[in-house]
Amino acid sequence: MRALSTTLESDRFNVVLGPPGCGKSLLLRLMTGLEPADAGAILIDGRDVGDLSPGERNIGYVPQSFALYPHYRVFDNIAYPLTLAGSRRRDAEGAVRRIAEMLRIEALLDKRPDQLSGGEKQRVAIARGLVKDTTLFVLDDPLTGLDFKLREQLFDDLRVMREALGATFVYTTSDPLESLILADHVHLLNDGRIVEAGPVEAVYRAPRHLHSMQLLGFPRTNVLAGTLETNSGRVTCRTELFEVPVTLSDGEASDFGASRGVKAGVRAEHLVLGDVLRDRNVHIPVEVVLAEDLGGELVVHLDAGEHRLITVLRHERGVDLDERDLIAQVAPESIIVFDDEHLQCVASGGDGRRG
Amino acid sequence: MGGTGAVAELEVRKIRKEFGSLVAVRDASLRFDSARVTCLLGPSGCGKTTLMRMIAGLETPTSGDVLFDGKPVTSLSPSARDIGMVFQYPVVYQGLTARQNIMLPLRSLRTLSAADRSRRVDDALAILDLRDVADTDVGRLTHALKQKVAVARAIARQPHIILMDEPVTNIDATTKSQLKYALRRLTRELHQTIVYVTHDQTEAMTLADEILLMNEGEIVQRGSPREVYNHPAHRFGGWFLGNPGMNFVSHRVEKRAGELTLGRPLFARDTHLHGLDGETDVIVGVRPESLAIAGTASENSVPARIKHAAIVTGGQQLLALEVDGRTVKAKVPAGSSYRIGEDVHVTCDPDDVTLFDTDGGKLEVIFRPKADDA
Repeated sequence: MRALSTTLESDRFNVVLGPPGCGKSLLLRLMTGLEPADAGAILIDGRDVGDLSPGERNIGYVPQSFALYPHYRVFDNIAYPLTLAGSRRRDAEGAVRRIAEMLRIEALLDKRPDQLSGGEKQRVAIARGLVKDTTLFVLDDPLTGLDFKLREQLFDDLRVMREALGATFVYTTSDPLESLILADHVHLLNDGRIVEAGPVEAVYRAPRHLHSMQLLGFPRTNVLAGTLETNSGRVTCRTELFEVPVTLSDGEASDFGASRGVKAGVRAEHLVLGDVLRDRNVHIPVEVVLAEDLGGELVVHLDAGEHRLITVLRHERGVDLDERDLIAQVAPESIIVFDDEHLQCVASGGDGRRG
Repeated sequence: MGGTGAVAELEVRKIRKEFGSLVAVRDASLRFDSARVTCLLGPSGCGKTTLMRMIAGLETPTSGDVLFDGKPVTSLSPSARDIGMVFQYPVVYQGLTARQNIMLPLRSLRTLSAADRSRRVDDALAILDLRDVADTDVGRLTHALKQKVAVARAIARQPHIILMDEPVTNIDATTKSQLKYALRRLTRELHQTIVYVTHDQTEAMTLADEILLMNEGEIVQRGSPREVYNHPAHRFGGWFLGNPGMNFVSHRVEKRAGELTLGRPLFARDTHLHGLDGETDVIVGVRPESLAIAGTASENSVPARIKHAAIVTGGQQLLALEVDGRTVKAKVPAGSSYRIGEDVHVTCDPDDVTLFDTDGGKLEVIFRPKADDA
């Protein structure tokens, strides 16, 4: 981890999204004080907590891999962090019941872990992490490995719980859909650095870093290598599949010489099949390789020359994928251009005149 | 592959498996279609793997029979059943090349000439797109390529039946689709009887000719992927398939002006229906992507307030809506930007609705909106 800085939004669901092994767990361990930092500071409400022990920082912690105490009832498993902190049983009782109710495991309180299903155990572990009387909780990818259907139910419960607790959540995951559904605020972690942070919808719609666009979104974003070229004041982005006029981002100088290496990002949903062809759009002849049926939508893998592209179709669109001479269209405005050097957004497609 | 391998008909009769007090598979009787891909789909613990293992001979049924081409094989060992198997973890021999791995099981087929053997290996390498790595030691291949070699080995022998147990589960997302693509092409070209076990609905819907949906040891529904998705026979299927699954909203069917009707909370006007005996409590099942949302009211819309909004697959918006005190989810096309707290109007088209009884079984009804009565 190198010189990482980000500000967590209080009373919000903060998601730290990054690929496996990018340093997500380490970041949480630094925050909670389980791991000392080599340099830098961690501030809670503006106060440096570097010298405080994990207990003094008063952060609730849901670890990624959990172990319930097999000989304890569910109640005592959940109450454990309170007992450890010296809380009396009578005081713990109310807190345990409240959190169990929110996670819909009240009926399990007298059972033992070996009487629970995998999903129920996960709920107990989450309850144990959230039972603490505090306003800052860190959750280290707690739903990883669970069946999709169990995760789907917990998504709703976690969001509702955070609101009910009025707490700040810091939640790590490598799953883009989980991030989109849970997050109010997203922090994109790649290679030990936060490359971008902001309200989740804003980051999705206008990513400022190539890795944000690639990490936050499903199915994956189409990325094409290309060049930015300037010709008598007009700037265009050229890739092997298209050339479009672009508008430089604020502060980007157009005197970059004859050309500059870039990556052009096109979200799957912006690669459109089956619409009436429009002259102003980019046209790409494609061949269908595989259509994955998600039920509500199809993820379609396409070959365009040497390039493999991905698009997504809602079922009611009823596009005939067996049709020959299929053309995928991209509206220039939906193309986002990142420079090769810093991977920052330097331009977006279109010349600024819509229509 | 145009091989000579016979395609067997596979059948199970009243097959049952108990583990102590747990009934893993409850008296299932099924005939699997020859030369087709049947996916056993269900959550963990539904009995799908146990059913497959009984077909393979890796598990002995408590009662019932497995039949290949009408002949019971229940007492035969796995090796005597002539089946090909692919597991969750690729079973390959390190130190041998991909080609040698695929060749290995063919050595026991004495009737096959050397030329036939190498033709089968070449065909298997070609169909799985493995020719570039044919002479590489499999120990040096990626997990996904190893799994492809394991699949190639299973098909080259041209067994009666090929069984696959979650073969792409442990593969990372990017190579997963490559392997799915290879399997899809393979199953289309091979015309083999394939039984494929998975808990992943996308895999099942993408690869299967037919899905057998399982829950708690029983087969809940059997049908083509779109049939099972669009017309769940039970509330379970509506819930299990889809991201997220169906909305289930309790309604009361009431008699109004002599006609059985469905009204609020999801229908603004009385929606007439036929096929029920009388007034009753029902559950309206409707998929999130089937609900239409608009900023203005229309003839059959009901008012709703947006409680939560999130971007999901392909830039669509997943909305949690409060309708009459209930929470309903709607998935609306990319480009929508509804906001939390916004008041909207929801329209539920009866054509997109599956009606269930209070036990979750599907009710066969015909809808007819009042406007059409005239």
